Amino acid sequence: MKEAYLGIDVGSISTKGVIMNQDREVLASEYIWTEGDPIGAVRKLIGLLKPQFDGASYRIVATGTTGSARRLVGTIVGATIVKNEITAHAVGTTTFYPGVRTILEIGGQDSKIILVENGVAVDYAMNTLCAAGTGAFLSSQAKRLGIEVEEMGEIALTSKHPTQIAARCTVFAESDLVHKIQMGHAKEDIIAGLCNAVVSNYLNNVGKGKKIVPPIVFQGGVSKNIGVVEAFRRALGYEIQVDKNGHLMGALGAAILAEKSEKRKEFDFAVEEMNFQTREVCCGRCSNNCEIICVYRDGALIDSWGNRCEKGGPH
Amino acid sequence: MIARYNCAIRYIIENGLDIGYVNQPRMTRRTIELGSRYSPDSVCTPFKSTLGSMIEALEAGADTILMTFGLCRLGYYGELQEEILRDLGYQFEFINLSEYNTGKKKDYLKAVKRLNPKFKATKLTAAGLEGIKMAEHIDELESIYYKNCGFEVEKGSYKKVFDRFLNAMDSASSKEEIESEYQRAKTAFSGIPLNKPRASLRVGIIGEYFTVMDSFSNLELEQMLADMGVEVHRWMNVSNRNLHYSGEKNLNVRIKDFCTYEMGPTSTANIWCARDYAERGFDGIIHVKSAGCTPETDIMPVLQNIGSDYRIPVLYLTYDSQTSDTGLMTRIEAFYDMMQMRKKVIR
Repeated sequence: MKEAYLGIDVGSISTKGVIMNQDREVLASEYIWTEGDPIGAVRKLIGLLKPQFDGASYRIVATGTTGSARRLVGTIVGATIVKNEITAHAVGTTTFYPGVRTILEIGGQDSKIILVENGVAVDYAMNTLCAAGTGAFLSSQAKRLGIEVEEMGEIALTSKHPTQIAARCTVFAESDLVHKIQMGHAKEDIIAGLCNAVVSNYLNNVGKGKKIVPPIVFQGGVSKNIGVVEAFRRALGYEIQVDKNGHLMGALGAAILAEKSEKRKEFDFAVEEMNFQTREVCCGRCSNNCEIICVYRDGALIDSWGNRCEKGGPH
Repeated sequence: MIARYNCAIRYIIENGLDIGYVNQPRMTRRTIELGSRYSPDSVCTPFKSTLGSMIEALEAGADTILMTFGLCRLGYYGELQEEILRDLGYQFEFINLSEYNTGKKKDYLKAVKRLNPKFKATKLTAAGLEGIKMAEHIDELESIYYKNCGFEVEKGSYKKVFDRFLNAMDSASSKEEIESEYQRAKTAFSGIPLNKPRASLRVGIIGEYFTVMDSFSNLELEQMLADMGVEVHRWMNVSNRNLHYSGEKNLNVRIKDFCTYEMGPTSTANIWCARDYAERGFDGIIHVKSAGCTPETDIMPVLQNIGSDYRIPVLYLTYDSQTSDTGLMTRIEAFYDMMQMRKKVIR
C-alpha cells in the first residue's frame, strides 16, 4: 500500500478536490460548483473522487482543507490540516514552479497577488470589502450577454477593438456595460473589454504598489479564461503561465501541506454517506449576540465556532 | 469610550469634579447596529461606534456627554453626533471639546465649568494628574501584555493579571489604590513563566488612532496574533501619541527622506513608527484603518516604499462595521505563515 494525500478547496463558487501520491502526481481530481451548499458539494465531490481512486494500491493517510469553508469542511472530512487559501496557493504553486516570482490569482469572490522570492512568499495582498473584478462578476455579466462563462475567453480573442469599460467598480462597470450594449458595440468587443476591465481592476486594486516580476503564474478559476490571460499579458508585457491544474492549485497546496505536516489519519470515504447538519445559534447571553455555528454528525454535535466570550457557548 | 481608557476618564471626572460618571456598557454588536442605523453610511466606523456608545450611555442614565476633539474629521463629529441625538429626541447636555480646543487654558476652563461650575482647581489638577498616570500604567501594562501573552506556559495567566488590574481601575478612588494595583500587576507579570522560542515572530501594528487601539473595533487583532505565538508591538497609545509626543516637527525631521511635508494627525507618527520597526528587524508590519480614513489612506504609498526599501512585508487591513472575523482570520493566518516561511529562508 502506498501513501496518498487528499486536498479539498471549498470556495464561494466552486469546490475542488485532488488526491495526490508521494511523487506529487494527481491520482484523482474533480471540480464542481459549490452552489451555496458546501457540505453537499463536498459529499458530492467525495462521491466523484472515489471511482477515480485506486483504493487497492493506495490509502489516503492525510487530508488538508482550504478555501473559505475550510473549517466547516475540515470538521466533516476529519482533516489533519486546515489552512487558509493564501498559504495553500503559495505552497502549491511554489512546489510546481520553484522559480516563480509572482502569483496572480482570481477566484470566484476574491483575488490575490503573492510575491515570491527564493521559493517562499514574501508579500501578498488580497481584496478587502469588495469583490470587484472576480469570477462572480464575470459570471453575472456572461449571463447578461446570454453566453456561457466558459466561452468568454474564446469570444474575447476574436475582438479587434475591445470596448473601453469603466473598471473602477463593478457597479460602475455594469452600468457602463449596459450603456455600451445599447449604443451598439459588438458582443465580442464588449466581452474583450470586460476581460480588460477585470485585469485593470485587479492591477489597480490588489496589485497596487506591488512590483510584478516574471516568471508569472496566473491561477484560480478565472485563469481558465484565455481572454483575461491575454489581457494580463498585454498589460504587463510578460509571458503569463497558466498551469493545466491552475484551477486546482488550492486543493493541491492543501494536499501538499497535509503531506508535509506530521499528522496522520486515514480518510474514510464513508463520509459521503453520513448525514451532516449545521445550525446557527444566536448565543443571547449578552448583547453581542454571537452567531455560533454548530455542526452535527448523525444528530450529535461534533464542533462549534463563532463564540467570542467566556460566557457564551453552543446551547 | 475608546480602548481601555474609560476608567481613567471616570477617575478624573469623579475625583476631580465630584460628579457621577456613567460607565458605558462594553461595546457589542448592538452598539455598532445602533450607531450604523443613525449614521451617514459612508462615514468612518469610529463615528458609528461612538454614536452607538453615546446612545447606550444615555440609556444607562447619563445626562451629559463629553466628546473629544480630533485632528482629522473627528473634529466635526461631535457637532454632527449631537444633532443626530437631538433629532432622535434625547435630552442631554453636550460638551464638545472641539469648541474649546483653542490651545488657551481659559477656554478649556469654560468647558470644565459647564461640567461643574463650582469645581476646585487644586482638586481637579491632582485628580487629572493621577488619572493621566493611570492611563500611562494601562499603556505600559497593555504593551507588556501583548508582547508576552502569546508565550505564557499556562494559558490565561497574563489575562488574569491584566483583567484584575483593569477591574481595580474601574473602581479605584485614590492614588494609593492605583499605584498599589499597578505594582502588583507589574510584579505578577514578571513572575509569569514564559516559553519563548528564540525565532519567534515580531510584528508591529500601526494605524488609525481609534481602530488600532480599540480591540472591539479591530476584532481583537492583537490577541489573535498573540494567540498564534507572535510578539505584538504597538507604539500608538495615549502615552506615546499624546502625553509624551515629541511633536510633529521633531518626528517629521526623522522621516524627511520619505516625506517632505508633515502628514497630519497620526500619519507622521505612523510613518516614523513603521520605519522604526523595519530598522529594528521586525518580521512584519500591520497597518490598520477604518474604511474611508483619509490620513491613513495617505500614508499607504509611503508604507509601500518602506516595505520595499527595508524588505519587510506590510499587511493592510481596512475595517468597516462588519463583526465577522472570518475574513480577517484568513489574512492574518496567511501573513503569519508567510512571515514564518520567509524567516526560515532568510536565516
